Amino acid sequence: MIAYFTNLASLGAIFCILAATLNVAVGYAGIFSVAHAVFFGLGAYAGAQVSLLLIPDALVAMVVAALVAGALSLCLALPALRVRGEYFVAASLGLQMMAVTLFSEAKTLTGGIGGLTGIPRPHILGVEVSTLPVALAALALILLATALLMRGSFGRTLQAIRDGESAAEALGKNVAAAKALAVAFACAGAGVAGALFAMHMQFVNVESFNLDQSVLIMAMVIIGGTGTLWGPLVGAVILLSLPAGLAFMPFIPSTEVGAVQQIIYGLAMTLLMVFRPAGLVGDLSRGKSHA
Amino acid sequence: MLLLQLLLQGLQVGALYALTAAGFALIFGATRIFHFAHGSAFTLAGYTFLFATQAGWPWYLGGLAGVVVATLFGLGIYWFVYRPIQRHEGSFFTVFVAAFGVGIVVQNLIGMFAGRGFASVDTPLSRAVEVLPDVYLAEVFWVAIGLSLLLFLLLTLFLTRHNAGVALRALHQNPDLLRAYGLSSTKLSLLAFAVGSALAAPAAILTAMTSGLNEAIGHQVMLISMAATIVGGVGSLRGAALAGLMLGVAEAVALSFVDTQWAEAVSFLVLFAFIIFRPSGIFGITQAR
Amino acid sequence: MSEPLLVCEGLSRSFGGVKAVAGVSLSLTAGMVTALVGPNGAGKTTCFNLITGNLRADAGSALLRGQSIMGLKPHRVARMGVARSFQDLRLFTHMSVRDNVRAATETSAWFWQPGGAAARKAREAAAEEALARTGLTALAEARAIDLAYAERKFLSMARILAARADIWLLDEPASGLDLSSRRRFGELLKEARRQGVAICLIEHNLDVVTELADRIAFLDQGQVLAEGDPQTILRDPKLAAIYFGDREDAA
Ligand SMILES: Nc1ncnc2c1ncn2[C@@H]1O[C@H](COP(=O)(O)OP(=O)(O)OP(=O)(O)O)[C@@H](O)[C@H]1O
Ligand SMILES: [Mg+2]
Repeated sequence: MIAYFTNLASLGAIFCILAATLNVAVGYAGIFSVAHAVFFGLGAYAGAQVSLLLIPDALVAMVVAALVAGALSLCLALPALRVRGEYFVAASLGLQMMAVTLFSEAKTLTGGIGGLTGIPRPHILGVEVSTLPVALAALALILLATALLMRGSFGRTLQAIRDGESAAEALGKNVAAAKALAVAFACAGAGVAGALFAMHMQFVNVESFNLDQSVLIMAMVIIGGTGTLWGPLVGAVILLSLPAGLAFMPFIPSTEVGAVQQIIYGLAMTLLMVFRPAGLVGDLSRGKSHA
Repeated sequence: MLLLQLLLQGLQVGALYALTAAGFALIFGATRIFHFAHGSAFTLAGYTFLFATQAGWPWYLGGLAGVVVATLFGLGIYWFVYRPIQRHEGSFFTVFVAAFGVGIVVQNLIGMFAGRGFASVDTPLSRAVEVLPDVYLAEVFWVAIGLSLLLFLLLTLFLTRHNAGVALRALHQNPDLLRAYGLSSTKLSLLAFAVGSALAAPAAILTAMTSGLNEAIGHQVMLISMAATIVGGVGSLRGAALAGLMLGVAEAVALSFVDTQWAEAVSFLVLFAFIIFRPSGIFGITQAR
Repeated sequence: MSEPLLVCEGLSRSFGGVKAVAGVSLSLTAGMVTALVGPNGAGKTTCFNLITGNLRADAGSALLRGQSIMGLKPHRVARMGVARSFQDLRLFTHMSVRDNVRAATETSAWFWQPGGAAARKAREAAAEEALARTGLTALAEARAIDLAYAERKFLSMARILAARADIWLLDEPASGLDLSSRRRFGELLKEARRQGVAICLIEHNLDVVTELADRIAFLDQGQVLAEGDPQTILRDPKLAAIYFGDREDAA
């Protein structure tokens, strides 16, 4: 039972990181990426390879994962600089689909569909540790960094760009740089989550990094409320406890739990958008016309 | 000959892409709603046809049922989801998330009730015969091409000759003008959703008869429609249809150079390239920014 | 008279067939208010867009302190000391009034601003001063979207004040203001002029122009028809006819 909850808590921390970092792009910068799982995956593969080939050190794995995901975030920054709105969503969808193909085909790096197995448990300075404290520490650090950055001038710059790009430019803000940085920060964070995920599961394959996953992370941010520090965490916890909660309901056949869960969060997304577009935590008047 | 075979297959798939993409583009043009749940209309129509034929209905009744279900779905989603969101001035992203939610619900309901994995309807039309040495063609090919052409002809006539059709085009160009003339934009939006969604049905039915359906096909359809609309140039129905056709052919022809898995990525590569290098699309006039 | 800060020559730009700006020359001098006057669609806003790099010019040059700013990105031009306002304001609607103004004091897009604590204090002071001078201190925590019309216009001015630029391009900043607000706006402008800011003001209300402008450039169909001191320009019956729209060739 304790193992069950530590596992759930570790995954919870990992998804909280994912939701919190996606929120930087979506909630503050107005960059609506539906490709967050791609960078989660890049981090996971990078972290796994570091652990498998180099040393099974959690810190090294997370740093490498953050660097890889952060560097490749350029693929997302590029369309973010060119287009907005529906077009950007379309571009990120395209990126997500291409990445899934790449992940399944680049067998030497990712193990293909079969994935990478036998990833060592996380170590720190040679001592084996459990994922939970590492994940919690990473989450705390990322939240702290997010809070500091978003309350400071960088957050103001992003929000200014979100509300009025040309006005922000007229005040001397380098819009391209700010957007690229925000995307890099968000993606590097997803990379860290990926490394943690790989070491925690000791196995990764492309299934965890597909469009459904991206949408799940997105749903966490949306349901919790964009542009708030705690909203994404609330969303992550709610959506993650959904399957656990459903498992206790005897009248749902176990083969359908997954589908019922998806239906519930699909419905939740739709109903929230119709009745409470700012999310559960968000201030209602803020949620309107953020594009 | 392999290339010719692939080309013909590409044309067949592309004709169906063109139909769904035209529906998507029509809706977007007239309502400015990026209808991300367009794939669900397709899925629902396809499975309705599937169930109907399995229940022993003649094909034309099954087809009609498919069209009706797709149309009702389009009307329903506009009325119950998009219209309330537009009323409180939700951003495009609110629309996107809501539509995506609908897509997820539809996909999983179908998975639960129709089972997961591929399902297809076998008809005499689907049997391939050798028309040239090493080139196989089923009659469904001619049906797909003919039906697409016919529907486009009808659509064009409707948009240029019929009052409501002309109004739809006008709505796209200038919503305020229409309001000044007293035409209700709600009614016209409903019309756009009805016609646009109905256009997905023939494609879904033909897909059910050829490559088959699965519960997740809506994703694919939505992505292709969106890609075709953007590549063709937002605001151009003809562009969307042409781009849909081209994407179908490109995917098929890519098969002769790369493995199946990569062929799927071709459309998205094209889309990605267009968004970065030419966001206004082939026929688009306005810049996306 | 001192050297002009900004010298534009032969600025041109067409959209399709329409020559929105056709060979405009304009110079702005420190401590002087130049009013850009002309009927709707004359090309006034387009002139600003050409100077600030929001639009690319087809031809012409713009020298800022002798240095060309043609082809520079808008944020580069802004950092060289050109601040502008927009006809439609473009406030950061979902941010607080104070954050709107703070954002104007911060130009680095990096995770933090350079200069450490001292620079931060200076920025804070600049922001508070801009709020005080525009009378927005009491509303500092309100969101821009919740402000009344006149307050929004003053917030747009506060951003410009806080940006500490030495050239201001103001696009109809006083339009729609009631009399007392307009007087406050006049005070702001005169104060800036005393401090040596070079101001270009687009304004339709000729009373405001007479009161505030040192010079007038009269623009019509993308061309400067006349330039000079307010009295001469405003007394010219031909220009008045164009301005009030009763010329024969009106389309
Ligand atoms: N981005 C653009 N694309 C196409 N045409 C434009 C664009 N910007 C301006 N124009 C055209 O250029 C001409 C000049 O416009 P501009 O906005 O500069 O006028 P203005 O003098 O500021 O008028 P107003 O007093 O109404 O603000 C107009 O005919 C306008 O339609
Ligand atoms: Mg103007």
